Amino acid sequence: MPDLKVKIGLIGKFDMLKFKNMKKVREQAIQAAPAKEVKGEFPINVNAKALHPDYLTLVVDEVIDHGAANAKTFVFKSKDGKALPYFRAGMYLSLKLNIEGSEVTRAYSLCSAPKQALQGKYAIGVRANPNGFVADKLLANLKVGDEVVSSSPKGFFYYEDLRDCPTVIGVAGGAGITPFMAMAKAIADGTEDFNLTIIFNSRTEDSILYKKELEEICAATDKVKVVHVLSREEKEGYEHGHVTAELIKKYAPETFSVYICGPENMYKSVLAEAKKLGVADRHIRHEALGITKTVWEEAGYPAECKDKVFELTVKQGAAEYKIPCAANEPILVAIERAGIKAPSQCRAGECGWCRSKLVAGEVFVPADKEYRRWADKESNCIHPCASFAVSDLVLEVPGEFY
Amino acid sequence: MAKYDIVVVGAGLAGLSAAIQSQMAGKKTLLIEQHNLPGGCATSFVRGRFEIEPSLHELCDFGPASNPGDIRNILDSYGVKLDWYECPDCFRAITKGSDGELLDVTMPAGVDNFINAMEKEVPGSRESMVKLFELFQEVLDGIAYITASKGNPDSAVLQAEYPDMLRTGAYSTQKVFDALKLPKKAQNILSIYWSYLGVDMNHLAFIHYAAMVHKYVSRGAYIPAHTSHELSNGMIERFRELGGDVWFNCRAEEFLFNGDRLCGVKTNMGTVDCQYVLANINPDIIYGKMMPKELIPEREKKLSAARDGKFGGRMFTAYFCCDVPAEELGITDYSYFLQGSYDSEKEYKNILGGIKTNDYSIFLCYNIANPKFSPEGTCVCSFTTFGSPVDWNDLSQEDYFKFKNQFAKKMLDSLKAKTGIELRGHIEEMEVASPWTFARYLGVPEGSVYGYETSDWDGMMARMQMLGTDYPIKGLRPIGAAGPRGDGYSAAVICGQLMALNALKDLKAEEEGGNA
Repeated sequence: MPDLKVKIGLIGKFDMLKFKNMKKVREQAIQAAPAKEVKGEFPINVNAKALHPDYLTLVVDEVIDHGAANAKTFVFKSKDGKALPYFRAGMYLSLKLNIEGSEVTRAYSLCSAPKQALQGKYAIGVRANPNGFVADKLLANLKVGDEVVSSSPKGFFYYEDLRDCPTVIGVAGGAGITPFMAMAKAIADGTEDFNLTIIFNSRTEDSILYKKELEEICAATDKVKVVHVLSREEKEGYEHGHVTAELIKKYAPETFSVYICGPENMYKSVLAEAKKLGVADRHIRHEALGITKTVWEEAGYPAECKDKVFELTVKQGAAEYKIPCAANEPILVAIERAGIKAPSQCRAGECGWCRSKLVAGEVFVPADKEYRRWADKESNCIHPCASFAVSDLVLEVPGEFY
Repeated sequence: MAKYDIVVVGAGLAGLSAAIQSQMAGKKTLLIEQHNLPGGCATSFVRGRFEIEPSLHELCDFGPASNPGDIRNILDSYGVKLDWYECPDCFRAITKGSDGELLDVTMPAGVDNFINAMEKEVPGSRESMVKLFELFQEVLDGIAYITASKGNPDSAVLQAEYPDMLRTGAYSTQKVFDALKLPKKAQNILSIYWSYLGVDMNHLAFIHYAAMVHKYVSRGAYIPAHTSHELSNGMIERFRELGGDVWFNCRAEEFLFNGDRLCGVKTNMGTVDCQYVLANINPDIIYGKMMPKELIPEREKKLSAARDGKFGGRMFTAYFCCDVPAEELGITDYSYFLQGSYDSEKEYKNILGGIKTNDYSIFLCYNIANPKFSPEGTCVCSFTTFGSPVDWNDLSQEDYFKFKNQFAKKMLDSLKAKTGIELRGHIEEMEVASPWTFARYLGVPEGSVYGYETSDWDGMMARMQMLGTDYPIKGLRPIGAAGPRGDGYSAAVICGQLMALNALKDLKAEEEGGNA
């Protein structure tokens, strides 16, 4: 037993009593307080919930038809007319839709300015896509007054001054212009402060989305510039062909960050061109790009599975469903088609929102969509939006809040 | 309707620990978690090619296999296995000492090493440091005795075996330092650990401080090889193996009662019948939002009012993934405690004053402890400080993103000024988490991950001794940082186990009472 030889001034013979009295002292402090109702609500938590609600109910306020560009802008307002969660220009909404019995989600970049959220307005741009399941149906059916369930704004495709260069070269293809619209508007109204040169790839002059709006923004601020590149038409006043290193160099300052949003093949080619210019990896960002529609072409895919349909057992809380799962589609699609509300957001493997526990069976994950945590890979937790069945499966899926 | 013996709400470390303990005891246990993965704070997130550790700096009370601490023993008894790295050194502190001079000191792990380093830094400190560590040991042994006695220690044993614990136990750490006549500079250095408990040295019970610091120094500190998610995921996998059920994205909305006894939980995934709930939820939230007001005992209302919203540790963190190795940035140490001055009371006040006065951060580089933490040629760093309601209560959404980056920038500037280390120019991925973020993901009041301040009358030892009085709702016990053991990973694991054991005891007593 140690002996405190050092003379302890403040600590004396009553200390034992003091120790034993700890309970009494505490009880006295408790009893001295008033028996108030416990509120359980705190401003910081209220703020957090307002910025990140489980989901939003939006009402279509306006539909703008872009004619030959084969697209529409859907302007939403909040159902209660109040402010909508603020966001960083470049973020997206994950819409929760019931289409023909499928409980599907789709990610659409916000093309409106963050400031407009404070007035209760969001806007997204949707372009026709005859090969897709959702876009054309939205274009045909979604009308003013309709209600849509949505996530709050999500994603990581936004400017960070601590990380990025003062100038961003934004390479957009087709509907990939939408996040850059939000950025350009945010720069024009002073929300963001960086230089944005958008290199915008369109097929023809007629098909350029938001052409007039972009001109107006460029007229209002010299921080935003737009270079139109036409891939299927030769016309004076436009660049032509594809986005090459030379083209980027022509419009870029000495140092710059590259942001890419568009079809996957465009992303891959622009990435290669940017690297030719010696742009560091930390200065190249791209928006999550969806998932391959031809998984059997991926390296390492077990070819014999391609046309098979497996049995998928979905467990969600106390509920259990046995559903078919085609090998050539992401597992998430099979779950949605069965009418099960399962969580998802980016649908490109990246955000991890659909993280689920694979209890039995095997899946294939394309190498470039592997964003799982280390321990998740080890313990067979998968992102169903970027995983494909290669056997019968038993999957535990998280619940949903809408 | 789903039916379980025990439902554990919240898969933070306390919840995971409680769930495993309950399932191991043969109770049919359901663990529900409002997020889509386990861990609460003990998690990770992925940005680009990096997996980022959000909260763990160093796990206390784990120790090497040859000298296992409580946490290693508990995880072993649960059958949870994972890879660990030992953190080199206890800390490097860069601050201003009580003599007004710059204090830049690195303290190693191991009691002898620590005392030797202190003697080198503060000549003449050896004798009082040796006494201090002897006292630490007695306090630890005394706590172990009190814990084993389940809150009912024998006074005679305490007086005979642990007299110095009794002498010092009711005092603040500062008072005991002064009584031991520890040289001022040694006190300055020893004060550095205050922030791990979120209570300054004048209000932090010595016994609490002693228990923590001795464990850090004597057993060293550890981190999992692949972030805390490896720990929480390892625990949940083990829970599944034992036959436990897990529902993710499942939020407890309301506790259901049959008379004054809990009988179930209403969730977004349906109602679950059960005999007992272990809720990894702050009691203020349980009483304020999740159960009938008329069932809340007067004393619990008074307890909440007495605590008066004094939450500890409203976290603010910033994470930076860099595209060069740590050494290229000049990072040599694992953890840098960057604090304006030695004076913890002043610094805590400055923290609560908000961004204008906050001069506190801990800078960490995980690759120093684990060279394989991130892809080759890269490193991951983080800053941790505390937020204040002054800044975060009334902040508008419009200012939110800019304000959090302003805070992060302040920490980058401070690091550069104090160490010369500059991360800007190498940042490939970054994320900034504010008290709003912690409130969002954890549901904790004000984004505090430390529960109620374990200060003055509401210290750990007093709470431990009142376990039988503090949790009066039949069939419901809160667990986690707001519980008797206070904050921290190891406290959460221990608290979860302790409260599960108490729940099992409650159930057994009820069963026997019912049979009688």
